[in-house]
Amino acid sequence: MKPQVAFFDFTSCEGCQLNKLNFENDLLDILKHVDIVEFREAMDDKADHYDIAFIEGSITSPSCVERIHDIRRRSDVLVALGSCAVNGGVNAMKNLHPIDEVRETVYGEDKYLFATLPAMAVSSVVKVDYEVRGCPMTQQDFLKLLIALVLGKQPPKYGSPVCVECKLKENECLYNRGMVCLGPITRGGCDAVCPSFGQFCTGCRGILDNPNIDGMLEVMTSHGISLDEAKKRMLLYNSNEVQL
Amino acid sequence: MECFSLLRSDVPALIDHLGDFGEVIAPHGKGDVSYSFEAVQDSCDVVLDYNRTLLPLKKMFLPPVEKLMGFSLKNESYEQVDVAITSRVFFGVHSYEMQSILRLDHSMLTGSAESNYFKRRQSSRFVGISFEPDEFHFSESVGIVIEEMEGFDLFLNEVDGDFQLYVLTENGQEMLNGFDKINITEPEIVEGRHFKKKIRYHYNRLPRVFQYAYHSEVWADVASRCVGCGACTLTCPTCFCFDVQDEVEVTAEDGIRQRSWDSCMLSTFAEVAGGENFREKTINRTRHRLYRKFKYITDEEGLPWCVGCGRCTAFCPAGISMPDIVNELIQEDEKAQYHRTVRV
Repeated sequence: MKPQVAFFDFTSCEGCQLNKLNFENDLLDILKHVDIVEFREAMDDKADHYDIAFIEGSITSPSCVERIHDIRRRSDVLVALGSCAVNGGVNAMKNLHPIDEVRETVYGEDKYLFATLPAMAVSSVVKVDYEVRGCPMTQQDFLKLLIALVLGKQPPKYGSPVCVECKLKENECLYNRGMVCLGPITRGGCDAVCPSFGQFCTGCRGILDNPNIDGMLEVMTSHGISLDEAKKRMLLYNSNEVQL
Repeated sequence: MECFSLLRSDVPALIDHLGDFGEVIAPHGKGDVSYSFEAVQDSCDVVLDYNRTLLPLKKMFLPPVEKLMGFSLKNESYEQVDVAITSRVFFGVHSYEMQSILRLDHSMLTGSAESNYFKRRQSSRFVGISFEPDEFHFSESVGIVIEEMEGFDLFLNEVDGDFQLYVLTENGQEMLNGFDKINITEPEIVEGRHFKKKIRYHYNRLPRVFQYAYHSEVWADVASRCVGCGACTLTCPTCFCFDVQDEVEVTAEDGIRQRSWDSCMLSTFAEVAGGENFREKTINRTRHRLYRKFKYITDEEGLPWCVGCGRCTAFCPAGISMPDIVNELIQEDEKAQYHRTVRV
């Protein structure tokens, strides 16, 4: 029997889910390997058990916590999809401010009607088996993981910075074009898609293990931006990962 | 050795003429301020004055990403990629770049020759060109002068804006047959081209400095600035480390085995089964990189495995300079020697 696969969304823009519907050429091949049993963005079937559950979005409220526990109980393998699910992503910027201030800004005088939590990675609440990084996650990355799971192999891990893929493509370094790029400390695997098209890396795939944060801030400020700006850029996608 | 004069305006005609001997690959402008070796489409696009290309000429023999074989899980079969042997002319190559290819030859062809490299390396001809050293070149300090002609078939030395063309091999001779825009002349020595960056010691003395530098404090200082991006090693012309990975297509039936450049500056490089990492810290990795250039291979071969192209320094986002590190080690070594002497 083909693995039963489900997709769930939490606090996110659902961009990663939409991205999967853009597979087009590969969609039929994917459906040869798996049965999609739950996918709000594309269908309305339900199931009691999932072989693989893909989770998009971060955990930001008590009801999210309850729901993710329920999904985890019914899933054999759970995969975090996209930066919101993997490390909290841009949502985690709210954690840099006092939670009361955040509630007041968003809900005004009705703030007591809406319970909220700091934006958390899915792995902060339940066990996550695998992750697909990026904002949005790339189709290629998702397919590699899916195929590895179908074949019963270990999915690829990315421990090298974006700079590696940029160098292999012989891109001119964006620092030489007067830009400030997070490529040196950002987890690669994206084929350096942004720098290849002249856009500096914003760090959407998360910071590498054991990064040299002080060294990176030094690099950024020595290329013409203020320390404050450098820290903000670093925190954009990684408020939960970097302590500044 | 014959020497001819060649007008700068006639160089495109020479490049067109060289096209008879294979695909011509030469430096071209890339991006805003960079250069890259590319196949020549229009000889007028070739850049004669450049500091250094982003990737070294190595990429033509050991491609950054290379398919080694295709396989089928369904049929349990595989097919190796057969690298075609094609004639190529590499034009406008600097002396340090040629020296890096000769060192790479040694690394790849000694013992069991790496067959894909060997096939690409065969039938290559090289036309060198002189260059004006910028603030990063230091090849003189590792024994490579601007006019070093070893390995070249032809060499263009710039004299007052035009060129003197040296014929160095029979291949070079053959490449000029039927090219009439050159006149025989007397070789001239060009003065006034100086390296701005230097290592303070002769390269012969460096292995000894490195012998005592393993526990130097310099490494910690370098590691505090290094962000671990790998740019230094990925752009290095003598580095040759690679990684091999299998990728299965979405059909889950076919796949490819792929080789891509790897770098000892990346934290994952020395990771082994069980999650153990025998060069876990940046300080271990920076030190290892320099030891690979000035000690480990040098002890065996008698030559520094650095050619002074300056790429690692020019392309480092943190501005870490290889010759500066070596000079700091030298200074530290001198201090240590002084203290040893005084104590005696």
